[in-house]
Amino acid sequence: MSTPVAVAEPAANPAGPRRAGRLTGFMPLIALVALVLALAIADSDFLTTRSLTAALRTAAPLIVLAAGATLVVLCGGIDLSIAALASLSTVLLALWLPDLGGLATPVVILAATAIGAVQGVAHVLLRIPSFIVTLGGMSILSAVALVVSGAGTVRVVDDTPVKWLELYVGGYVPMSAAVAIIVVAVIAVVLKVTPLQSWVSATGYSESAARLAGTPVDLVKIAAFCVSGACAGLAAVMLVSRQYSGGPTMADNLLLPAVAAIVVGGTAITGGHGSVWRSLAGALVVTLLRVGLPIVGVPSAYEQILYGVIIVVCVALTLDWSKVSIIK
Amino acid sequence: MFAALSPQFRSLGNAQNIMDAAAVLAVVTCGITFVLMMGSIDLSSAGVMGASALTVSLLVANNRNDNDLGLLGIAVAVLLGCAFGCLSGLALVLLKVPSFMATLGVSAIGLGVATLMFAGVQPNITDAMLKGWAIDRFLGLSYLTWIAVACILVGWLIQRYTRLGRYAYAIGGAEEVLALSGVKVKPYKVAVFALAGAFYGLGGVMVTSQLGAGLVQAGNGYDFSAITAAVVGGTLLTGGRGGVLHSAVGVLLVMVLTNGLVQVGVSPYWQGGVEGLIVVAAVAAAVIPQRRRNQVVK
Repeated sequence: MSTPVAVAEPAANPAGPRRAGRLTGFMPLIALVALVLALAIADSDFLTTRSLTAALRTAAPLIVLAAGATLVVLCGGIDLSIAALASLSTVLLALWLPDLGGLATPVVILAATAIGAVQGVAHVLLRIPSFIVTLGGMSILSAVALVVSGAGTVRVVDDTPVKWLELYVGGYVPMSAAVAIIVVAVIAVVLKVTPLQSWVSATGYSESAARLAGTPVDLVKIAAFCVSGACAGLAAVMLVSRQYSGGPTMADNLLLPAVAAIVVGGTAITGGHGSVWRSLAGALVVTLLRVGLPIVGVPSAYEQILYGVIIVVCVALTLDWSKVSIIK
Repeated sequence: MFAALSPQFRSLGNAQNIMDAAAVLAVVTCGITFVLMMGSIDLSSAGVMGASALTVSLLVANNRNDNDLGLLGIAVAVLLGCAFGCLSGLALVLLKVPSFMATLGVSAIGLGVATLMFAGVQPNITDAMLKGWAIDRFLGLSYLTWIAVACILVGWLIQRYTRLGRYAYAIGGAEEVLALSGVKVKPYKVAVFALAGAFYGLGGVMVTSQLGAGLVQAGNGYDFSAITAAVVGGTLLTGGRGGVLHSAVGVLLVMVLTNGLVQVGVSPYWQGGVEGLIVVAAVAAAVIPQRRRNQVVK
């Protein structure tokens, strides 16, 4: 259908897209710097260490969630279940901490990875679109979280096993933010030094071509869902260490910010184009908007509206229009 | 099966309950069916319903302000829903944002607008007519149920006898063919989303009538339940199949299932889990015949 267009485009416009692409590549960083400047001007207290570390601590779970889901988006899918999975993981962690102690954290992350893997396998084997699998998964996981927690908050009495996330590296940088950045770095490095990077982007850019070229497309997709699940589990550990409790809906309001972070970072929702570093920048932008709105005197109800607008506009900007002839 | 397990389930009163409980879901599902027929998806109902619930509760007689617009207020709420639907549709055809993303965004916008109107004080409605809709009965069923029946009828007429309904089918079946045969597809897509939005708006009004107050969370869970009901009714998520009447049957099935599970002693918290399983299983069952052909699934 669209083949002639796709072939003609690069020849017709060789310089334009690349320059535009380079510009959108720096957009998240430009937005980040602009936001920090704007906030520093609006509120002179903003550039103190106390408010900066507070912002970083708020950002940490979001960074981890967004980084994990970015891999799924890079493969051309989407994971809508991350927030529900994180909520379920907070409940599980709070329930298991008394029995398992320090082991609870890796066990919860493993459990979340397994749930992610199940969704990935369902998506790949049954050939169901990823957003339906994860939408159904979101519903199922929320139900499980409600049932195992009895629809109430599970308090953590002895939080020593997750206390380490509350420490500060070098006295300034919160441990949770440091862990989040390490996670992003590890994902990025692993992608870079292994063939995974090209496999992931090949899957995202053109799945059928990647399949013909011998890329293990199915395994790559399942692995992406595993990483996404593991990141949701880790985000849950961070939330529990901050709130001293687990709740069946605790992380649910992180879904929109996480999706917004991914698309603000400039990762194309059609797959292939983007990186976890972009999502890191996107998560910081979203967090700054979140903490910044009350500072400039905008009621926090506008936050939701803003997420909605950001998602729609950024998806439209980063979309690879040549690839999709029919949008459902 | 549930009739055998629980004596309460067999009663006539329970049948009435199921019908009354199904009313709102039926209206929402009616709207979402048109979107699904096109092969798109709509996750915006929760937000749109929240916004329209707040709108209607602030426009009819209430404890927050002196408005007493009655039916006009309801019409405004439905129109607001229509406008939100239009927004999703425009984002889809003009900005080319995939529908699940566009409607996710619009849902967030709707919730934000609802929160703004909520402003910390819950608007309780005092309008006798709107309150009466949920309580007064006609032939054993509440007015809301009759409204839902009317909606299904209207939906069926639109689907069957208007260009909009026929094209919605055709878009889901083979959009390229339709576009190549000279039909301007885009306005129809926007119109379908606007129509669905109007149904959600009415759904929000009906929830407000049931609760007696406008709540931001009025549409919580309806988005997914409606997709479940439509899929159970036989509407394919790939588009081109199904219809309003199918979905109405699906709504009844889902309501009987959730009601029956509660009656036999399953925790109501499992409801969402059951719905999730149903959707995944139903979609999987629908695509398995084409598994070999469809190698690429996003």
